[in-house]
Amino acid sequence: MKDLHEQRNKSIFQKIGEHLDSFCVNCILVFILTAFLVGVFVYLTAYSTGSTSLGLEFLGFKFVIADSFINLLNNIPYLPIVAIFIPLIGGPLEAYIGARKLEVLRDSMVVNTTFVTFIVILAMYPQIAADKIFYHIPGVFGLGLNFKVDMLGFIFAVTSGVLWLMVTIYTRDYMKIERHRSRFSLWMAITFSGILGTIFAGDILTLFLFFEAMTFASYMLVAHNQSKESMLAGNNYIYMGVAGGLSILLGIVLLYVYTGTLEFIPLAAELNEIGNTKYLITMLFVIGFGIKAGMLPLHIWLPKAHPVAPTPASALLSGILIKMGAFGLLRIVTSFFTPDLTNVVDPDPTLWEVSANLGAVIIWVGIATMAVGVFMALQQSHMKKMLAYHSISQMGYIVMGIGVAAYLGDYGAMGFAGSVFHIVNHALFKGLLFMAVGLVYMRTREQDMYKLGGLWQKLPFTTFVFIVAALGITGMPGFNGFASKSMLHHAIVEAYEYGHYSFRYAEMIFTIVSAGTVCSFIKLFGYVFLGKLPEKYENIKGDNGMMDMAMGGLAVLIVAIGQAPNYFLDNFLIPSAQGFAYDSYFISNYLVGMNFFNFDDIYIMFWIYLMGAGIFIIGSKYHLFHLNMPKWMDTETSLYKPIYSFVYKSSLKITSRFELSLIKEDVIIYTIVLASALLILTRFL
Amino acid sequence: MDSTQLPLILLITLLIGAIITPLIMKKFNWIGKRMIIGIMSLAVLMSGYLLFDVFQNGAYLYNIGNWDPKIGIQFNIDEFSTFMAFFIILLAFLIIIYSIRDIEHEIFPLQIPVYYSLVFLLLLGMVGITFTNDLFNTYVFMEILAMTSCAIISIKRKKANYMAAFKYLMLNTLASISFLLGIALLYMATGYLNINEIGNVIGEAWELYPTNILLALGFIATGLGIKAAVFPLHTWLPDAHSNAPTPSSALLSGLVVKVYIFVSLKIVFRVVGADITLDNLGINNFIAYFAAVGMVAGSVFAIGQKDIKRLLAYSSVAQLGYIFLGIGMGTAAGLTAGLFHVISHGLMKTALFLSAGAIIYKTEKRNVDDLAGIGYEMPITMLVFSIAALGMIGIPGMSGFMSKWYLALAVLEAEQPLYLVVILISSFLNAVYYLPIIISAFLKPREDGSEEMTRDGIPKSMIGPMAIIAGLVVLIGFFPQIILNIIEKAVLTFI
Amino acid sequence: MELLTMILDRINYVGAATLFVIGLYTVLTHPNLLKKVIGLNIMETSVFLFMVSVGYVSGGKAPILGTVKEPIVGAYVNPLPTAMILTGIVVAVSITAYALSLIIKIYEAYGTIELDEIMEARSEQANG
Repeated sequence: MKDLHEQRNKSIFQKIGEHLDSFCVNCILVFILTAFLVGVFVYLTAYSTGSTSLGLEFLGFKFVIADSFINLLNNIPYLPIVAIFIPLIGGPLEAYIGARKLEVLRDSMVVNTTFVTFIVILAMYPQIAADKIFYHIPGVFGLGLNFKVDMLGFIFAVTSGVLWLMVTIYTRDYMKIERHRSRFSLWMAITFSGILGTIFAGDILTLFLFFEAMTFASYMLVAHNQSKESMLAGNNYIYMGVAGGLSILLGIVLLYVYTGTLEFIPLAAELNEIGNTKYLITMLFVIGFGIKAGMLPLHIWLPKAHPVAPTPASALLSGILIKMGAFGLLRIVTSFFTPDLTNVVDPDPTLWEVSANLGAVIIWVGIATMAVGVFMALQQSHMKKMLAYHSISQMGYIVMGIGVAAYLGDYGAMGFAGSVFHIVNHALFKGLLFMAVGLVYMRTREQDMYKLGGLWQKLPFTTFVFIVAALGITGMPGFNGFASKSMLHHAIVEAYEYGHYSFRYAEMIFTIVSAGTVCSFIKLFGYVFLGKLPEKYENIKGDNGMMDMAMGGLAVLIVAIGQAPNYFLDNFLIPSAQGFAYDSYFISNYLVGMNFFNFDDIYIMFWIYLMGAGIFIIGSKYHLFHLNMPKWMDTETSLYKPIYSFVYKSSLKITSRFELSLIKEDVIIYTIVLASALLILTRFL
Repeated sequence: MDSTQLPLILLITLLIGAIITPLIMKKFNWIGKRMIIGIMSLAVLMSGYLLFDVFQNGAYLYNIGNWDPKIGIQFNIDEFSTFMAFFIILLAFLIIIYSIRDIEHEIFPLQIPVYYSLVFLLLLGMVGITFTNDLFNTYVFMEILAMTSCAIISIKRKKANYMAAFKYLMLNTLASISFLLGIALLYMATGYLNINEIGNVIGEAWELYPTNILLALGFIATGLGIKAAVFPLHTWLPDAHSNAPTPSSALLSGLVVKVYIFVSLKIVFRVVGADITLDNLGINNFIAYFAAVGMVAGSVFAIGQKDIKRLLAYSSVAQLGYIFLGIGMGTAAGLTAGLFHVISHGLMKTALFLSAGAIIYKTEKRNVDDLAGIGYEMPITMLVFSIAALGMIGIPGMSGFMSKWYLALAVLEAEQPLYLVVILISSFLNAVYYLPIIISAFLKPREDGSEEMTRDGIPKSMIGPMAIIAGLVVLIGFFPQIILNIIEKAVLTFI
Repeated sequence: MELLTMILDRINYVGAATLFVIGLYTVLTHPNLLKKVIGLNIMETSVFLFMVSVGYVSGGKAPILGTVKEPIVGAYVNPLPTAMILTGIVVAVSITAYALSLIIKIYEAYGTIELDEIMEARSEQANG
């Protein structure tokens, strides 16, 4: 006891000196610089004079510097390529350095390359604020690679950049419990580059290229620790990924042949002329991107892959990677299925038909996804698995928003903005949740929440950031989840006001699911951080400085966005919505100057919290959190496993049955083929 | 330089190589190695110059000994034949560099000079078939090719090799007999053996003797079907390609089978002509049916294999289906896609066989299940394998993706979207058998449990060619225009 | 009767076809490798017969200059197929030789030249 006291009383500088190595110094510097940059960026965007220039009006001297600097940036059209290539070159370099046993240098380099990439992403803003960035590399793939960065892409890129940076800072200390660290940093960097490429792609073939690169690189993250479980999860992931990729490819080929273009331009008029093939194309894209997005019933890889991956990878998978599926959906919904409105005075309303049908389906898929996700999450005892199911559920929100955007056609701006906003928010709080849970796992080596408890004594800071993230995901006013959930709620309300009345039920399910989310986070928080500390965890180490810093950064962002949602809305969401075929009257009426903190939304949230607490009490009383699911409900055992084993076993069977006999009867086959060829040919006489 | 004699000089160079290799080499020493490499580099230079010359100054017909083409032998030196000859010799050059160290492990030292003699004859046969414009000459070269390809299998003195070689020989002879009978029937109807001459009079002959031409087509199709391993006639291929020494497997799978595709192209588009084969008979539809069946069945059989080289052999059956599917579309786009896949599959399958051979060279492991952790033992080899295997699956960035892309576009352009589904199913099946190998190589621990990254431990002369071929796969995957421009010109000689 | 003359006129071709079928039947039904090679040879012979018949001109003479006393006049048979068949025979002989040497090796390796037994031995080897 005395020892403990002495340890605690050690001067804080001594303690810091023990733990601080060059990596930490580097990270702290990067962190401060990032904070400074983000601050300046926010300041400049919030108070900029106009959309083209970002200078400051009242600080004459600074104005000139900022202006010339921005002019310089405006003249670099290849920034997206630079951003893609930095991690692509950095990754192998890091792996090489790691192989030479220079681990500290490698880890610092991982952070620094991500940081540089982040700066490059931010540097694109002046050009994007003015217009989109277009860049074309001819020759590659015959058609050339096209890059286009608009506001939507920029939002995604910045979100991934921030999360990636924080995760790389977090990774070093966490990965001490894993092996093959150099390999991990290699594939993480390549995944990052694939994600940035997907975001910056200007046509669907380029998107597909980077999407596939991302799938294969992230496989190495899923299967990283090489245990039997993670290999199985990885197999699941890669085969579904390949199937999804093939389905997207088929869609691309059909689209290219029938419309002659691959770029993200409005194509509704062209698609209208090709009959039912357009629905086939639609379906193929939805399946392909839906697999990545964890859409029901294509989600089964997700709850397997996320828990087995090392925590940094889980945070990135849940935070960014599955969003790429949503991003793909957003891209096709806002391009191929919208009519071209640039030179049309009186648009033909029938052109929205495909989009509306697609949207209605996607809304219901989204609703089902969020309901099943949250229900399954309530049943879990494995912490990361529960978070993975929440990712499915939250993807349901996002998919629903995209569905509303497609369903309402030119009135879909609310759904569009809501889902993009929720993507950003979910990346932040789900990343943070995974990181907090990962820290708990690192200290206790226990994933079962029922075996934990009272950890707030040992991990006070982690508890604190966990609360922030949980409030974010449950939608507490003042935290970021509230803003985007309210927007999505507005969107689904609009869906039944402007569209079909059945979406009223969708809205009800939406509310119940939100309550379920509240309930499951009460449960997780209660079992892990409150209650009695089990004895064997009496002597575990406490918080970890670098990891705390990374988590703290995300927590600050969560609160900041929660406090000032209008800044985000005005500067990013509305410009990105204006770039697509949405009714400008609608945008200016409903979105501009939206009041998030109004009575109605807060009132609904109050009820949701009350309901969530109620479900928790009822559930724990009647043991509703340990239901045994009937086997057939598991889509995996009833659908996917049979398909795989059918393919594999029937191939084996066919081989063992026919291979030898085919080889034995070669001359007979020759005779038969010859005779039938002659017979068929004499038919032409 | 006057290059008109170059085609014949090229063939004679290869022939000289075949003759003097066993004569001056008692043992396989450094003189022999340098001489083989020297002759091959000479051949590469010559065929490269031919290609350059044809693209500069246009195609020409070359009469051997200046005989009248009606009775003599004629070479057709055009964009197609020079490009394919260049490809054959270049790829063979890389394989031969690889083989110099590998072959010492596989066959008796005394036979090594004979082996290279056979390889030179094999190349002579392939280049000859590509160049020649005479049907009977095609038959002669085909026989040279058949004998030598059987011989480079049976030169490895194992039980299974004798049997594989005998089966190959027997079926090849059946195929040759059918082909010769077909030629005789065509000669009977037209009175010519020169491809261009037959093409000129075939319309008239079709009016007079349709039976002859139909029977000829039937026999030739069956014969070439065996030689090009179209699905139900592929039975010799897995045994032959899997048992052969590694360089032979690479040569056979990557190049020899393709040469017969060139012959069938010549028959369909030049001899009998598109008017009859495509418009009247619709032969392309049959080709496409067989191709589609082969694409799926080959992959299904490949899934059932445990021996890695046998798996690759069955994969060849499936991939040949892609090529024939392109041809079966009967359009310029389809033919382009098919020929593109000839190149792309040639590179990928060679890389696969060479890397599999390197694994066998070092570890003697042939069973797919034993390859766990091999990626740490032989990183570069497995990297080459992975690049080629991902190309087979059709991952963007490898040449296989581009051939699938062009094939899919061609299939849709010909308005036969059902084949698109076949392509997808086949791609997915490819993933089912290639991915587990890559995964277990890089992610499963070795038997002894160590996970240290080591050097490959094979000679540099084996790593070099593999790496170059893998580099080409990626290069073509990103910049398909490099060869597509040439292929588009080559296709114009057919349609 | 007409049919009979038709067949008689084309007796060479009928013979070639018959030989082809006989040869194929031999290859098809006999598991003995040696007999398969013999069957292949019969098939080859049928093709040679066919080809020579193609070049035959009825009443034609050998395409040589003849002596001064008896100059060749009138039609002579087409020499090209004959020349080609000569090549074909060479090829056939070499293939037969190669096949026979392979059979010797197979006999040394397996102890039998019956295809059935060899396949059985192989599948046993594969299973065991």
